[in-house]
Amino acid sequence: MSSVPLDTIAAPGPEAFALAPSSSASQGLSRPSLSYWQDAWRRLKSNRRAIASLWIVIGMLAFTVLGPKLWRVNPATQDVDQISQPPFANRDAVLIAPFTPWDQNAAPRMESDLAVIGSATTQAVRLAWAPLPGATGYRIFRNIFPAEDGLPLGLPLGENLRPDALTFEDRLDLAPRTYYYAIVGVDEQGRRTEQFHTLPVEVTRVITVAEAAARDLIDADNPPELGTPLKLKFHPLGTDYLGRDMLARLMYGARVSLFIGIVAPLLFVAFGMLYGALAGFVGGAVDQVMMRFADFVVALPFLLFMILFKFAFGAEAGESGILPMLLALVLLSWPATARLVRGQILLIREEGYISAAKLLGAPTNYLILRHMIPNTMGVILVTLTFAVPSAIFTEAFLSFIGMGVAPPTPSWGSMSNEGLKTMLSHPHELMFPALFISITVLAFNLLGDGLRDALDARMRSRE
Amino acid sequence: MTTQTPEGPSTPLLAVDNLAVEFDTYGGVVQAVRGVSFSVAAGETLAIVGESGCGKSVTVQAIMGLVPMPPGRITEGSARLQGAHILGATQANGRAIRGDQIGMIFQDPMTSLNPTMTIGAQIAEPLQVHRGYSQSQAMQRAIELLDLSRIPEASARAKQYPFEFSGGMLQRAMIAMAIACEPDVLIADEPTTALDVTIQAQILDLLNDLKRETNMAIVLITHDLGVVARMADRVAVMYAGQIVEAGSVDDIFYRSAHPYTLGLRAAMPTNRRPVAGAAEDRLQPIDGSPPDLFAPPQGCGYCARCPHAMRVCHDTPPPVVDMAAEHRARCWLQHANSPHRIKGLHHATVD
Amino acid sequence: MLNYTLQRVLQGVLTVWFIATATFFAMYFAPGDPLTGEKAMTDEIRANLEAKYGLDKPVYVQYGTFLANLARGDLGISYTQENRFVNDIIREHFPVSATLGILAVAFAALGGIVWGALTALYRNRLPDFVIMFLVILFISVPSFVIAAFGQLFIVNVNDAVGVSVLPVAGWGTIRHMLMPSLVLGLGTMAYLTRLMRSSMLEIVNSDFVRTAHAKGVPPAQIFTRHQLRNAVLPVITVLGPAIAAITTGGFVVELVFAIPGLGRYFVQAVQQLDYTVIMGTTVFYGAFLVFMVILVDLVYGYIDPRVRVR
Repeated sequence: MSSVPLDTIAAPGPEAFALAPSSSASQGLSRPSLSYWQDAWRRLKSNRRAIASLWIVIGMLAFTVLGPKLWRVNPATQDVDQISQPPFANRDAVLIAPFTPWDQNAAPRMESDLAVIGSATTQAVRLAWAPLPGATGYRIFRNIFPAEDGLPLGLPLGENLRPDALTFEDRLDLAPRTYYYAIVGVDEQGRRTEQFHTLPVEVTRVITVAEAAARDLIDADNPPELGTPLKLKFHPLGTDYLGRDMLARLMYGARVSLFIGIVAPLLFVAFGMLYGALAGFVGGAVDQVMMRFADFVVALPFLLFMILFKFAFGAEAGESGILPMLLALVLLSWPATARLVRGQILLIREEGYISAAKLLGAPTNYLILRHMIPNTMGVILVTLTFAVPSAIFTEAFLSFIGMGVAPPTPSWGSMSNEGLKTMLSHPHELMFPALFISITVLAFNLLGDGLRDALDARMRSRE
Repeated sequence: MTTQTPEGPSTPLLAVDNLAVEFDTYGGVVQAVRGVSFSVAAGETLAIVGESGCGKSVTVQAIMGLVPMPPGRITEGSARLQGAHILGATQANGRAIRGDQIGMIFQDPMTSLNPTMTIGAQIAEPLQVHRGYSQSQAMQRAIELLDLSRIPEASARAKQYPFEFSGGMLQRAMIAMAIACEPDVLIADEPTTALDVTIQAQILDLLNDLKRETNMAIVLITHDLGVVARMADRVAVMYAGQIVEAGSVDDIFYRSAHPYTLGLRAAMPTNRRPVAGAAEDRLQPIDGSPPDLFAPPQGCGYCARCPHAMRVCHDTPPPVVDMAAEHRARCWLQHANSPHRIKGLHHATVD
Repeated sequence: MLNYTLQRVLQGVLTVWFIATATFFAMYFAPGDPLTGEKAMTDEIRANLEAKYGLDKPVYVQYGTFLANLARGDLGISYTQENRFVNDIIREHFPVSATLGILAVAFAALGGIVWGALTALYRNRLPDFVIMFLVILFISVPSFVIAAFGQLFIVNVNDAVGVSVLPVAGWGTIRHMLMPSLVLGLGTMAYLTRLMRSSMLEIVNSDFVRTAHAKGVPPAQIFTRHQLRNAVLPVITVLGPAIAAITTGGFVVELVFAIPGLGRYFVQAVQQLDYTVIMGTTVFYGAFLVFMVILVDLVYGYIDPRVRVR
């Protein structure tokens, strides 16, 4: 302790040494007093990740509830003109007359080479070619890559067995893109000759008046003239392998995924809470038996029994299978909450403030309402938040292995399962449902982290 | 501030000068220690007394280099061990001193020992680190140290884990660990707070005996005036991050020169009336709570709770007044201009 | 210790009995019966088959037979592949799943401990942010998506390099095992990383680490002797449940990578309503997991002196 020579300090005047009135104000707490929930909310609000997650969760719920009201597309309607289309694919189509058969005998004779007769459309591609020397027949191939030497010629479309059959009409599953046709000569023995024609063909999408009218693209009573360019139905997130609108399916799929993801945790947390509270309050042998039973249920291998129970509760034909899944989830998931609540009750029962309240003559229901429930709500809320992602995962997992919701009903899991099959050619069919699952789960996880930190009183002093 | 190194009974072993420590917290910067100076000589016990949060633990942790940085920060001051600066010394340098020249024991022996290491291995560790002992040598010495700390069946006990020890035994083991390298200074941060009263006395006796045998200096942090009376040669009373009064143990107990010291004495249970002039035979609590060190008060830190606060106390920091050799108080009441004579308070003789 | 072990094993046996009972009755009350899936059959054939499988007996006799067979370790005969014993099916397919699972658990535990310790040491600095971002990503992405992307990754790498760096699917060599076990362990590794990080952070700020600093112990030694060992303990306690999660998560990975494990076989059996295989596999997996958890607990008891002595 260093001392300062007194004369270095300007000596205050005598009035400064008058006794000051005792200042009670300075004895009060300088920081405002907050209730537990106010304080938790304050800390949650300062957690930017948790608040962003809260908005994502609200957004997902809005997407599920309000989405189908705004985007009125039936998730079961197949748009056969647009199968497995990625988002923002070309939607141009030209209005044409209905298909009329091609009189191939009337086709012009080609002097050399291979050419398209008429226009190449998704309705039909009509080819005619000049005879190849030494060929007694022709095989027609179509590929999506240029047919160069050594590369496969692609899909075999057909075989003309006469040397003078020099035309072919391709109507097989045409898409608006470039195809590479190859006409290969065949000799008497059916062997390929060295001779062949190749031609790249740009196919334009067409739609007949009747089809366009059926899809509400034109006014059926007053159709525009043929050749009018049209735009096909808009699918913001593309279509799946059956031509169904991905956005609509994701919205309806969200109903299943979020319904199971939110309702199942609500149910099993509620049941676990009652079970645990009962065991904790009654205590003694009842408590022992109840908790031993909970231990048994915990030991059941979760996903195996999800499959087993889902199977045992069965879904009748035409049902979606959501209720059996919900039931199975509740039956298997309650013990964790029950243990937690029981532990919490036993802990709180020993707390000093409970003894203090008892000493003051507080009745039991007051103790439960005023002390037990508020002090357990925090952990229950956190459990609930963390239960949502695992329930969503469980639904997705079951749907993925084909034990989830029955096929026509979309769910994010079953959509992922379908998308996996076309992962290499059409990645968007897997990407979108997977993204929705991941974002939702991420949001609930981060929200749960934030809630836990906000509600944990021990964290108050930290950070 | 000018520095006058106070001359102790002999040359100071450890001298701390004008130490200031801050912490960044979510509520702002806390000025936990605000210019603390003290010294301690070999064979001497200095007690630093004060209530929770007054900065006494932070002070010694800063000396030991144990203040986590960030959020902590040493903003000012120095500490010298036998004349060599130890604050701001490089990490490696600080490590060479810790556990070797300065030993430290902590408040809660239950949590201050590694639960998965045997007691013996933990006592042997500083010997292996600082003295280069082999494992078996170190273990041998650890058993001797346990014996020295009066733990029965030391060789069997050395193989046990902390959870197999009682609180008092653990604190003895902690002491054995702290003195393993025969340090010059032993810092004891509330060594008896977590223990039973009967065990407290044994631990304090052990510390006193060890001090006598090894002539080490002890810096004892406590809030218990009873412990101070039993152990200390000199006392520094801390309040709100500052030393408000320092002096010999007799100065503090019989010639208290600061109202806070007086308040502490009035709050201490004794067999007789603690403070001359105390109204009743009742313990007198100090009303209120210490100031928020987010924004330390302009004037005296204690004035909000001081029954004798004057106007000047609220806006001007009090001067440090020399009461006698080695006895100083940081209080306006001791200023030559102060007209007040407070009952029970020792006043500087006015020339 | 011996008493404790015996007690745990007895508990385990009881738990397996409960699992078996739950399995039996779940299957018993399932709509339809084991023979529904078969081709149209005459009443006579049906009666013969019911007699062969004991389905004509009352439920308590069936249950008794089931338990008795189980006690002898006999899980019955497959319904869809006649003359194949469920025991043989498990013996053939389980080693594949177990290999995959062991690799995945090893990978998850090692990764979780290393990454978790790293994030705690680099708390609130770049490595922490990067690793924790990946962790939260892997926790939030379903296992089948990770598996699919893992496979896609192999396809792309193989394409880019021009040779088969790793096989896209199948089983057999160590090269087949790498990606599936990595993919399978990733979710658990992310979870263990989080656990290790918070455990490590608690230890870093603990009193005994402060004591070690006060003794002047060098940081590297503090890390290995004081921090790591104590921080790893909570990670070990959850390894039992983690093994369970990885084993069942194996179903998806086995499906995606076409691995002939028991998980894939189980899913097939469920789709084909092969009752005995479903029941046998469930009880087997249940027993396996129960005893893995007990094993982990016993190992933990050996590592943590506080439990060991008690």
